[in-house]
Amino acid sequence: MSTSTDVQDAAVEPTGAGHTSAGGSGAEPVFAVDGLWKVFGPKADRVPADPELAALSPAELRSRTGCTAAVRDVSFDVRKGEVFVVMGLSGSGKSTLVRCLTRLIEPTAGSIVIDGEDVRAMDKARLRELRRHRAAMVFQHFGLLPHRTVLDNVAYGLEVQGVGRRERRERAQEVVTKVGLEGMEHRRPGQLSGGQQQRVGLARALAVDPEVLLFDEPFSALDPLIRRDMQEEVVRLHHEEGRTMVFITHDLNEALRLGDRIALMRDGRVVQLGTPEEIVGSPADDYVREFVRDVPREQVMTVRRAMRAASAQEAGEGPALAPQATVSEAIEAVARTGQTARVVDRGRCLGVVDSDALLGVVAGTGGQFADEAAGSDTDAATGSESGAGSAESAPDQGDGTASSAREGVA
Amino acid sequence: MRTRMKGVLAVGCSLLVLTTAGCGAADMTKQASPFANAQGAKTVTLSVQSWVGAQANVAVAQYLLEHELGYRVDTVQVDEVPAWDALSQGRVDAILEDWGHPEQEQRYVKDKKTIVNGGGLGVTGHIGWFVPTYFAKQHPDVTNWKNLNKYADQLRTPESGGKGQLLDGSPSYVTNDKALVKNLDLDLQVVFAGSEAAQITQMRQFAKEKKPFLTYWYSPQWLFKKVPMTEVKLPAYKEGCDADPEKVACAYPHTPLQKYLNTDFAKSDGKAADFLKKFKWTTEDQNEVSLMIADQKLTPEEAARKWAEGHESTWKAWLRK
Amino acid sequence: MATITATAPRSGLPGFLKHPATGKLLLLAVAAAVLVPLANARWASGSWPHALTVDLTEPLGKASDWVIDNRDSHPLFLYFFGYVSNAVVLSVRAVYLVLLAAGWAGVTAAAALVAWRVAGVRLALGTGAAFLACGLLGMWIPTMQTLALMVVAVLASVVIGVLLGLAAGLSDRTYRALRPVLDTMQVFPAYAYLLPVVLVFGMGVPAAVLATVVYAAPPMARLTALGLRGADAGVMEAVESLGTTARQRLLTARIPLARKELLLGLNQTIMMALSMAVIASVIGAAGLGDRVYQALASVDVGAALAAGIPIVLLAVVLDRVTGAAGTVDDELGGDTGSRWTGWAYAAVVAVAVAVAGRLTDRLDWPEAWLVNIAEPVNRAVDWMTDHLYSGVPYVGGTADWAGHFTTWVLDPMRDGLQWLPWWSALLIVAALAWLIGTWRTALTAVLAMAAIGVLGVWGPSLDTLSQVLAAVAVTLVLGFATGIAAARSERCERVLRPFLDVFQTMPQFVYLIPVVALFGVGRAPAVAAAVVYALPAVVRITTQGLRQVDPAAMESSRSMGATGWQQLRQVQLPLARPALLLALNQGVVLVLAVVIIGGLVGGGALGYDVVFGLAQGDLATGLVAGAAIVCLGLMLDRVTQPTDRRTKKGA
Repeated sequence: MSTSTDVQDAAVEPTGAGHTSAGGSGAEPVFAVDGLWKVFGPKADRVPADPELAALSPAELRSRTGCTAAVRDVSFDVRKGEVFVVMGLSGSGKSTLVRCLTRLIEPTAGSIVIDGEDVRAMDKARLRELRRHRAAMVFQHFGLLPHRTVLDNVAYGLEVQGVGRRERRERAQEVVTKVGLEGMEHRRPGQLSGGQQQRVGLARALAVDPEVLLFDEPFSALDPLIRRDMQEEVVRLHHEEGRTMVFITHDLNEALRLGDRIALMRDGRVVQLGTPEEIVGSPADDYVREFVRDVPREQVMTVRRAMRAASAQEAGEGPALAPQATVSEAIEAVARTGQTARVVDRGRCLGVVDSDALLGVVAGTGGQFADEAAGSDTDAATGSESGAGSAESAPDQGDGTASSAREGVA
Repeated sequence: MRTRMKGVLAVGCSLLVLTTAGCGAADMTKQASPFANAQGAKTVTLSVQSWVGAQANVAVAQYLLEHELGYRVDTVQVDEVPAWDALSQGRVDAILEDWGHPEQEQRYVKDKKTIVNGGGLGVTGHIGWFVPTYFAKQHPDVTNWKNLNKYADQLRTPESGGKGQLLDGSPSYVTNDKALVKNLDLDLQVVFAGSEAAQITQMRQFAKEKKPFLTYWYSPQWLFKKVPMTEVKLPAYKEGCDADPEKVACAYPHTPLQKYLNTDFAKSDGKAADFLKKFKWTTEDQNEVSLMIADQKLTPEEAARKWAEGHESTWKAWLRK
Repeated sequence: MATITATAPRSGLPGFLKHPATGKLLLLAVAAAVLVPLANARWASGSWPHALTVDLTEPLGKASDWVIDNRDSHPLFLYFFGYVSNAVVLSVRAVYLVLLAAGWAGVTAAAALVAWRVAGVRLALGTGAAFLACGLLGMWIPTMQTLALMVVAVLASVVIGVLLGLAAGLSDRTYRALRPVLDTMQVFPAYAYLLPVVLVFGMGVPAAVLATVVYAAPPMARLTALGLRGADAGVMEAVESLGTTARQRLLTARIPLARKELLLGLNQTIMMALSMAVIASVIGAAGLGDRVYQALASVDVGAALAAGIPIVLLAVVLDRVTGAAGTVDDELGGDTGSRWTGWAYAAVVAVAVAVAGRLTDRLDWPEAWLVNIAEPVNRAVDWMTDHLYSGVPYVGGTADWAGHFTTWVLDPMRDGLQWLPWWSALLIVAALAWLIGTWRTALTAVLAMAAIGVLGVWGPSLDTLSQVLAAVAVTLVLGFATGIAAARSERCERVLRPFLDVFQTMPQFVYLIPVVALFGVGRAPAVAAAVVYALPAVVRITTQGLRQVDPAAMESSRSMGATGWQQLRQVQLPLARPALLLALNQGVVLVLAVVIIGGLVGGGALGYDVVFGLAQGDLATGLVAGAAIVCLGLMLDRVTQPTDRRTKKGA
C-alpha cells in the first residue's frame, strides 16, 4: 500500500490543541472548517442559530421547518500535502460540503478559512481569484465543454484567467501530456471514453496549478477497471507533486486506498474522522462498524495495531517489520518463517505480532485488543476532547490519531 | 448578472431612441417600394387589381413603358381600397382603373391632396346581376328581379343551403348584394367565392353543364365572350339611392372608370406620368387583351405585345408630347 | 413488465381512473344547473345573445381613420413608426440591391458555397439547382425580392428573439412572464397577424416585414430561452468553479451549450418567416407570394405553380441547410483553422463568379433560358377539370365529392353547431377541456369562446369551427391510418419520409393552388387544403409515438402470443396516447391556420371576414375577425392540450 508512508507522515506530525491552528512543524491547515452548516429551505438561517432546531433529527427538522440540513456543524482541518477524503453514502451531505469550500454553494453558518483568509468574507472578485488560482475542482460528471477540443478544455481555466492564447496552449499541452492524453488534443469530449474524459477534467483542474485539488466523486461514473487506473493516477500525481487534495467519495475502498485521513459523514454530520486504520480498526459507532465490516482489514490495519509487548526472546528473533507494514504483509512474513514477527522502528523493537494476533485482526475480533491499545480514539471521535489521553497510553504512536480525533466533530 | 442585463437593455433602448429620435422626423407616408428604381433604371410601380380587365390595362401600360419609354415596371397586387392608401403613400405610382370610391376620393384627392385624378380610362363599367343566356332563353321572365323567387329552387347549391344561390366574387368588390336580397325580399343566399378567379371557375363549370345560376358580375368583362350572360333587371338606379348601404334597393350605376396618380409622381416623373394620363382605350380593346390573358393563357406581356402590334395608332397618341 | 404497470390501473381499478372524470363532470353539471336557467331566462336565444356583445366596429373604424389622418403629422408616426418603416425599407432595399448586383450567377454560387460549407456537397448541388430552377421558371426577380425581404425579417427576428430569449433564459421572472405568451403566439394562425400591422403601417413592405418578424421571432425566443435554461448544470458548475465571471459563463459556456437549440430556433424562424413572407403578399409584400396571389386571382394554376415551385425549393433548401448546420459540425470536429480557410475559399469563389457575371454583363437572367411551365400545367389542369372534376362514372368527380362533403358533412355540422344554444356550446368546451386538461385550460378555453360571442362573430366563428372540426376529423382518420401503417412497416415509412419532409416545409399558401383546380370553390376546398397541410405533422407524430413505445412492453406482449392487431390495440395505442393527443393538438392548430386562409378560395366565415377587411380597407371587420380567430385558436389549443400534470404524476 502506497498510502502507508503518507499515513505515517501525517501521523507523526504532532499537532497542537487548538481547533484551527495546526502545530508548529509547518503543517499549516490549507482549509480550516469550523462549525459549518448548510441548510436548504425557507428561512434557513434560523436553524443553525437555534440550538433546539439544530438538535433535531433530519425528519423532525423537515416536518417542523420544511428545511433540510445537508451539512450540520462540521469542523475539520485539511493539512498541506495530505489527501483528505470525505466519505459517505449518497445524501450524506458530502458533495454539498465540498461545494461550500469554494462557495459554489453558499454556506448557511460557520467559518471556512483558507490559508488564514476567511472564505465567507470574500467579495466576488476575491472569490473568483480563489477559484481561479487556489482551489480547482474535478467533477463526477466531468463538466467538460462539449464544443471545445480537449486542449481548449484543458486551457479553459487559463483562458478564464486571461492568459494569452499561446501561453495557455503550451501549458495545457504540458498537462495533457502529464495525464496521458497525448495525441487526443484535438478531439472533442464526446469522442472520448469516460476515463479519458475524466483525465481531461483532471488536466483542466491541474492546468491552473491550484493549491488544492477538490474531487467530487470523480470516478464513481467510471467502470471498475478504469476507476482503478484513475485512482492510481491520482496517487501518482500526489506523489509527484504533493498537492493538497480533498476527495469526496462514496466508495469505502477508494477512500481507504487514497486517503491520508478520512471523514465519514452521515446525515450531514461527520461521525468519525481518522486515518483509514482508525476507521477500520476502531469504528466510532455501530454505523461505522457496519460500514467497514467487509473491508479486508489485513490490508488496512498496520502491525502497530496488532502487536503486543515482546517477551525478551521474541524481541531478538523473527522477521522484522516496520510499524506501518500492513497486517497482510505480516501474515506473509509469519507464514513464511513460522515465527512471530518483530515490529521494529529505527532499530528498536516495539513489539511482536504472532499468528493469533494477526488472525484476530483478520477475523475482526482482534479489534478488542487494538481498541485497547489505541486507547481513547473511539471516544475522541465521538466528540470528547481527550487527545492527551491517547498520547499517554501510546506515546510513540498516538499523536496523529489523537489530533485527528480531536478535529472530529466537536 | 441581472444588473448587467439591465445595463445592456438600457444601452440598447437608449441607442434605439437615439437612432430614431436623434435626427428629426421621418415621414413614412413618403416611401417608395424598396424594390423600385433598382440598378439605375427608373421604375414605375403600378397597382394591379385582381380582375383581368385591370391586368390588361397594366399589361399594356407596362409593355409600352418598358419598350417605348425605357422604364422598369413593378406591379403589385393590391385590393381596391388599400390601393388608394398605397397610392397616397407613394408605394404605388398609379391606379389605372377605379370603379368609384367617393369616400377615398374625398380624403386623398380633396383633403390630403396626395393623389390626383389621371383622367378617364375610356371604359365604362357596370355592375349587375346576371344569368346565363341559355337559361334566360328558356325562362325569359327570369330577367326581372320580381320573378327571381320563382327560380330560387333551381338556383340552389350545396353552399347556399335551402335558398337560391347568388354567387358573389371577391370580397374587395363593391357590392350591395346582401342588402339587396334583404330589401327586395328575395329567397336567395349570397355566396362569396372569395376571389374573382374562384367565381369564374364556378361559372364556367355551371356553363359547361348548362346549369342555371345567378351571379354578381360586371362589364366590361371578357367572360361574356365565353359564357354569354343576360342581365337581370333590378329596380332602376337613381342618383343617391345607394347612399345608405343598409337600405339599398336599386340597381348599380354605370361608372366611367377613372385613373389616379400619386401627386408627387404626377409632378416629378414627367414622361411616365404624362403617358399614363393619356392612356385611354375602349371596352373592346380591353376585352381583347383580357381574353388573350385569361382565356388563351398568354402571359400579360405577350398579350400586350400582340395588341400593341395591331393598334399602333392608338398607343402612338399616348406617347405624343 | 411495462404492460403490467401500464394496464393495471386501467383494467384493475376502473373506478380509480373514472373517478376524477365523473367528479369533474358532476361539478360542471351542478354549475350548469344553477347558471343555465339564469342565463337562459335572461337571454333566451340559440345564438349568442345580442345583449352580451360589444360592438367594436365603430371604435376600431375610428382608430383606423385616425391613423390614416395622422400618419403624416402625429409625432408617434413621425418619430417612431416612421423610422421603423424607413429602416425596413432601406434595409430591404440594400439587400435587394446587393442581390441584384451579384447577379444570378453570383447569388447562385454564393448560396451553393454556403450550403457546401455548412452542409456538404450534396446539399450544395441541390441548392445550386434550386436557384437555377427559380431562374428557369422566370421567377428570378420575385425570388430575389422575397429573399431580400426574408433576409431582413429573419435578421430582425433573430436579434429580437435572441434578446428576448436571453432575458427569459437568464431571469426566472422574465421566463415565467414570457413563456405563456410565446407558447400562445405559436398557436395563432399567421393570417391574424396581418391586420394590426396594416393598421399602423398601411399596405406594403414595412407592414409585411413587421408581420413576419412578429410571427417568426417567438420560436427563436422560445428555443433560445429553452437552450440557455437547459444548459447542463454540471458543466455550468464546473465552469463556475474555475472562477469565471458571469459574462464569461454566458459567452463561453451557456451560449455554446445552447448551440443546438439556437440553430433549431434559427431553422424554425426561417421557415416561419418564409411562410409569412408569402402570405404577406396579401398586404403588399411583393415577390413570389404576390405572383402566386395574382395567379390565384385569375385561376391560372400554371402561373401559380411557376411561382409556387420556387417557394417550395427555397423552403426545402433553407430548411435542409439550416437543419444540417445543427448536426454536421459536431461530427466534423476538424480544427478551426481549416474551416476558416474553407470559408475563405468559398467567399473568393463567390465573389469571382459575381464579378465574372458583371463583366460579361449577365446580371439579369437570360430571357432565352426561360421554361414556360404555365401552359402545359394549365393544359393538364384543364384536362383534369374535364375528366376528373365531375361525372366520372361510379366514383364521381372531385367536384361531386366536394359537393357531397359540403352537403353531408359541412352543412349538418355547421347547422348543428349554430343550432346549439350558446351556453351549451360553452359547457361542451368546458367539459372537453377539463377532461383532457386542467381547470385552468378549461377556464381559458371557455373565456376564449365567450370572447368570440362578445365580439359579435358567434355565427361565422361556429361556421369556421365546423370546417375545422370536419378537417380535423378527416386529418386524424387519414393521419392515424397512415401513421400506423408507417410505424408497422419500415418500407412504408421510407417511401413516405421524403414526402412528409417536403410537405412539412411548404408554406400554407401553396396548398391553395391545387385544391382550387380539383375542388373548385367553397368550403370543401378550404377543408381539403387544411387536411393536406396538417396531414404530414399528424402522420409524423403518430409514427414516432408508436415507434417509441417501450420495446420491453411490446416484447412482453408478443411473448404472451398477442397478434399484431392485439399488440397495436392493447399495447401500442394506449402507450402512445400522449403522442396521439399531441398529434390531435398539432392537427387542430395547423388546420385552423389553413381553414382561415381558405377565405381566399371561398371558405367564407372568419377567413372571409379577414380577407374582406384587408380588401375593403375595413380594418374594423378584419380586426374583429382576427381577434375571433385568435380566440378560436386559443380555445382549440386549450381544449386539446393534455396536461403536464398527469404525466408528472404518473412518472
